[in-house]
Amino acid sequence: MAFNFNWSPLTADASFYTRAQELLTTALNKYPKPPIIVDDIIVNELNLGSVPPDLEILEIGDLAEDRFRGIFKMCYTGDAYLTLKTRVQANPLNTYLSTRPSFTSPQPLAASSGLTIPLQITLSEIKLSAFIILVFSRQKGLTLVFRNDPLESLKVSSTFDAIPFVREYLQKEIEGQLRTLLMDEVPAIIHRLSLRLWVPEYRAKEDEELARRSRNPISDEQPVDPLASPPQDPIDVSGNFLDASQIASLSLDSNYEHHSLFSQKNLLRLAALTDSHRTLSLFTPGIRDAVFRAWTGPSEKGELHTSSARPIPPGISRAHSWSGTTSHTYTFSDNQEGPSSAKPTLSSFGSTATGFGLGGNRSSKPSNGRRKKRRVVNLRKKAAGGEDGQSVTDEGSTISGTTSSAQSEHGAPWPCQEREGEMVTPPQSPPRKAASREQALLDDNMPTLGRRVTPRNTIIEQSDESTPKPPQDWIPNHHPSSPSTRPRLRTSHTYHSSTQQPEKAQAQTSVQASQTSSINPFQYLESPTGGILEQAWMMKMAGEIARRVNEEKAAKHGFWDRTRDGMEEIPPPAYGS
Amino acid sequence: MLDFMDYVQHAFYEASHWNRNNSYGTLTATSQALLDFPTPLGVRLHISSLSTPHFASSYTLASTGLLSGSLSYLYTSLPLPSLPTATRSLPLPAFTPTSYRQIQRLRPPDPAWWWETWHAGRRIDTRDALLYGRLYLPHSTLEALYLRRLTPTRQLKISAVSDARLPNGGSVLALLAQDHGKWSAEYMYSTDSALLGVRGLYNFGPDPRDRDAGIIPSPVMHELAGDEKTTVLAEPAEPVSRFSAGAEVYYGLLNKSGGMSTGIRFATLAAHTGFPYTMTVTLNPLMGNLSSSYSVRAGELLSLSSRFDFNVYSYESDVVMGMELWKLKDRDGSGGGGVVVEGEGKEGEDSKMSGRKEGEREESAGGDVAGCLKARIDQRGSVGLLWEGRIKELVYSCGTSIDLRGGKDLITGVGLEVQYSS
Repeated sequence: MAFNFNWSPLTADASFYTRAQELLTTALNKYPKPPIIVDDIIVNELNLGSVPPDLEILEIGDLAEDRFRGIFKMCYTGDAYLTLKTRVQANPLNTYLSTRPSFTSPQPLAASSGLTIPLQITLSEIKLSAFIILVFSRQKGLTLVFRNDPLESLKVSSTFDAIPFVREYLQKEIEGQLRTLLMDEVPAIIHRLSLRLWVPEYRAKEDEELARRSRNPISDEQPVDPLASPPQDPIDVSGNFLDASQIASLSLDSNYEHHSLFSQKNLLRLAALTDSHRTLSLFTPGIRDAVFRAWTGPSEKGELHTSSARPIPPGISRAHSWSGTTSHTYTFSDNQEGPSSAKPTLSSFGSTATGFGLGGNRSSKPSNGRRKKRRVVNLRKKAAGGEDGQSVTDEGSTISGTTSSAQSEHGAPWPCQEREGEMVTPPQSPPRKAASREQALLDDNMPTLGRRVTPRNTIIEQSDESTPKPPQDWIPNHHPSSPSTRPRLRTSHTYHSSTQQPEKAQAQTSVQASQTSSINPFQYLESPTGGILEQAWMMKMAGEIARRVNEEKAAKHGFWDRTRDGMEEIPPPAYGS
Repeated sequence: MLDFMDYVQHAFYEASHWNRNNSYGTLTATSQALLDFPTPLGVRLHISSLSTPHFASSYTLASTGLLSGSLSYLYTSLPLPSLPTATRSLPLPAFTPTSYRQIQRLRPPDPAWWWETWHAGRRIDTRDALLYGRLYLPHSTLEALYLRRLTPTRQLKISAVSDARLPNGGSVLALLAQDHGKWSAEYMYSTDSALLGVRGLYNFGPDPRDRDAGIIPSPVMHELAGDEKTTVLAEPAEPVSRFSAGAEVYYGLLNKSGGMSTGIRFATLAAHTGFPYTMTVTLNPLMGNLSSSYSVRAGELLSLSSRFDFNVYSYESDVVMGMELWKLKDRDGSGGGGVVVEGEGKEGEDSKMSGRKEGEREESAGGDVAGCLKARIDQRGSVGLLWEGRIKELVYSCGTSIDLRGGKDLITGVGLEVQYSS
């Protein structure tokens, strides 16, 4: 998963600055002004500068196509500046008397006559440091909350810099006002803006998002962006619990709608699951709020096959799962290319999802297909993630080594390649394209290898899709506007039907383990290869998480308890039925 | 429309021989009345009564979307038995006094022995005082006023406001005023930011104390003097105009900020044969604000005023123009009212007399007055209109403020105020 922060394009948008100025002007004049300010405050100049803020992702709580929740730490020491124009009352007696009742006023004859002076204030060298909680939901818009006072320091230069008293006064007043603005107004502005902007076409929406982002540099990380980069792993696990501890200190409970993330219980279960895998133990803990992605079953394979024959192949679903930035279309087409060419192999190898044994139920799923909604994703540094992926792949291959030893050799590099390409430049398809082409070639040439690779793609698709996408019956009219919705829906059905059953999900691993021998080797080969990759990756991460959680647990007990409580109160919708 | 309590208070000034117009604070009273009159907002109903010569009460109900009101009581140690307060019988100008404030002839302060009352070899006289309180609901704002005539030349005025929304819960202003006729001074202290203030006014021209030294200014004698100027007292010719200058200085001890202004006024007196006019110039040297006004009573029914403000630092300027027009009742006799008023214009030779004569004039002419229209306009296009009149036993004033600039709405405020008193 990668985040793409576009800072400079904001400046290219001419209308952005005017719009931002208007909004700021409105916001500044909304509250009653101190009596010394006798005119409207007009935003004269606004420049966000060229230095983007430093963003550190502490936690991503919820990630889906239509929702996002995350915590960020932002530091900004850029060259943005803001120029305000207004008029101030220079007569202190006038200011003073205007706030006092006239009954006890000395009622001076002319001593209180006003002298209004045009004042120009330039705010520069703004230093911000803040913890930001960003909650995005397509229905409710974007909510952004500062957990602390974001304003660190600020340089105020005005017309009256020569007078130290006035300068100090202005500095003090403006800092206070700006704090109010940042804490109260900016979230409101962004929320309003997001609500307003959600109606138009997606492309326009994206532009608006850019604007919104720039409006508030803090909100840079748009909910969509993280999804834009094709996520390699359905569960991006990061052991960022150090950050979590920081978060805990911020007492973030209030702003979370659903505390589905990082439930300690689930983490422990994940850890147990990992252990069971390692030991081939038959005991599998039931994980309530997590569903293992299951691969398409034999019947699904058939559908996949047919769908691939259609003009819009299954890949579309994946594109949507990434929440439809342009980059997605690219990746999608690439994927399509790969799989389609590899289709024969896919079809021949049929059921990929057997590993989880969910394929059988697939036919009934599409109607009431539930989709896994919540995913706790914690992002680490990309490099680390890549390495992890690599290692996981290896591990996966070794685990699935029973099925085919050759896979691991060839299969391992692929994911990394793809992942790197996707992560670094989400929108750019070329690397991926090449990869997929190669895949296709491989598939054609070497069926076994191809199997390994292609399924992986499908797996990715599935996982991606499953994460962001709401079940169709769940929110049927969710993306009425997007033209590609329908195909995606269809594909999603075909793909995800397998993943839907939570009960089975609980038993997934064991089933998989047991099925390994019994099921058609091809099936097994295919699904496990992809599945194992993902699974192993996840497991490893889960193990790591569990370990860390255990470490953290002692220190931060309250926080986790809280989260867990919240989560239990509101179970993720995916498990509603 | 004058508030009933202000009306009673003014009566108290009159009865205690205090010239409230001889102060720097009222230097521009004429132009202020013509240009800065408040327009009512919302509906406001006053019911007032002077139940005894010592006690008055007034109740106000106001609605500007929110319902609010006030209760006020007033006690005066100086009985005001002859004060007409019933709107039924009271002429309209009593509550809506003429905006153009004719400068009266200076009144020398009462000799100190006037105030002495001896009984059985001991002084038993007390000082006149006035107590006033007003409670605003629902905000529970309390206004209190204590007014005391210390000596014939001094008056102490303490006003206080208690309101939880104010810093420190309220404030108190103490004001000590001195009026020697020739000059007057006021010293004030406000607990709010410990504001100290001094203002003074000096009237050029003959000192009334010199002329009247040792002479009881009896009305009779002055009537005589007015009629036969060349005789007995050999007074100089009655001045037709007066030139006054004043200044004020304020300094807040706590916030270490101050302000000051100076001003001059030239006004014709009653002896002036032409139409009366008043010119003022005030200058705030600290803020560079220069304000000049010119008010003229073009006729007995019409007053005009204009004011020009200019700031030498910011080059901001403002022009306001205002007028006041009285409407007489239609009577069968043509122009009767005008004649009456014309005759009255020459009255007021003596200041003490003028008060009474003023009342008489209102008494006589008030019956003819149907109403009064005030209007003002400034260069920013804001217009204020006010009509004051009478319906049966009620005095009412309705007004509106209009913004011609074409902002959000043309009419920025409409109001109606009704007063009944008995």
